[in-house]
Amino acid sequence: MDKSCSSCKTVFLEDVKFCTNCGQSLLKSKVGTRTTSLNIILAFYVIFLLFAVAAYFLYEQYPFSLKVEIIIESIFALLVLGFSALDYRAILKLYKLPKIDWKIVTFSVVFPIFSAFTVYFTVEYANTHLFESFEDNYYGGYTYLDHPLFWAILFTAILPPIFEELAFRGFLFNQLQKLVSEKVTIIATAFIFALVHFSFISLIWILPFGLILGYIRSKYNTLWYGIVIHFIHNFIIIMIDYYTYNSTLLEL
Amino acid sequence: MEDMTILEVSESSCSICKTPMQTENIYCPECGFPENGTDSDVAKFHARNAMKKNQHMDAGKKIRSARNVLYVMAGIIILFGVVSFFNDQDIALLISNVIVGIIYLALGSWTSKKPLVAILLGLLLYLTTIIISAIFEPSTLFRGLIFKIFIIAYLGAGVYSASSIKK
Repeated sequence: MDKSCSSCKTVFLEDVKFCTNCGQSLLKSKVGTRTTSLNIILAFYVIFLLFAVAAYFLYEQYPFSLKVEIIIESIFALLVLGFSALDYRAILKLYKLPKIDWKIVTFSVVFPIFSAFTVYFTVEYANTHLFESFEDNYYGGYTYLDHPLFWAILFTAILPPIFEELAFRGFLFNQLQKLVSEKVTIIATAFIFALVHFSFISLIWILPFGLILGYIRSKYNTLWYGIVIHFIHNFIIIMIDYYTYNSTLLEL
Repeated sequence: MEDMTILEVSESSCSICKTPMQTENIYCPECGFPENGTDSDVAKFHARNAMKKNQHMDAGKKIRSARNVLYVMAGIIILFGVVSFFNDQDIALLISNVIVGIIYLALGSWTSKKPLVAILLGLLLYLTTIIISAIFEPSTLFRGLIFKIFIIAYLGAGVYSASSIKK
């Protein structure tokens, strides 16, 4: 491809770094692009931290309000969609249906079954025996509503995988790719994904979970497998919560 | 034969980077040195390179400061966890602080290979710890405010410096 100098308009057939006529650098400046990506990543993270604080206090103030739950979920979805709109072309490509590869399809079903059971029982064990506290029962949080299982599945198993995958493996992944290598991007998105769960103990399992989701997104260039894995994992957690909640109720 | 003779005569090499260049070229296509330029062009080239070198040195200093901040944070957090454990037997706080301290240490060590991402993640981790503390006890948000601003400033400067010199 021909290269021309922006200053003196000399055309070069070979790949040169500097114009041989006026000395102008012909290397594309990537510093500006990197700074923009860095600013966007920092803005994204700070806004989500503020959102998390606001959501926390709203949940504290209105623990049994479907309206508040819907408002918080809608704001989160709008924020994710708003940031994603900045890079919508690259993100839309991630929603193309991938060619069916049975290895990854099988993995996408088997892995979350394993991860959900392992995480549920190890986290519960750690919380009860190590920290002498109890992890909230996700299903139990919706029993003030009619059809609690429906709401629990919607707010825990369906919406988070859709929007969290878009936010972390979609938008954030693309922005970080502009700054660092693919491998480092996988590590960084997994780390940030773990951080926003606001539990340093949970870093132990969320970090490897995020690494696997990041690797799959990187290898297959799609968000679909991540959404499926994330959904199955959260769905199983909800179903175990549903089972344990009702078993405890029957015992009483 | 005539063409070959012309080719031999018209090629030279850059006196800075030794890249072969044609004699009609004023500037080296590889490093931009004005091989056939005026004394003023040569002076400008050297001045520009000196400025770049200074920028790199300054960025290097900021990255080193950010790395030291990460190590200091690791030390403070682990120490605080240990002291709290001996005072209140708070095992949860001890484990959380040791985990966060180890992460700070790992990120500090990573700055020698990947300064940009290591300092960026350190900054995000620090912001998150401020927010988590503020959620549990809102008064902590304003406690040691100047210290917090200093840490954020050092880490922020480190991130942007690492971004500016990344090849």
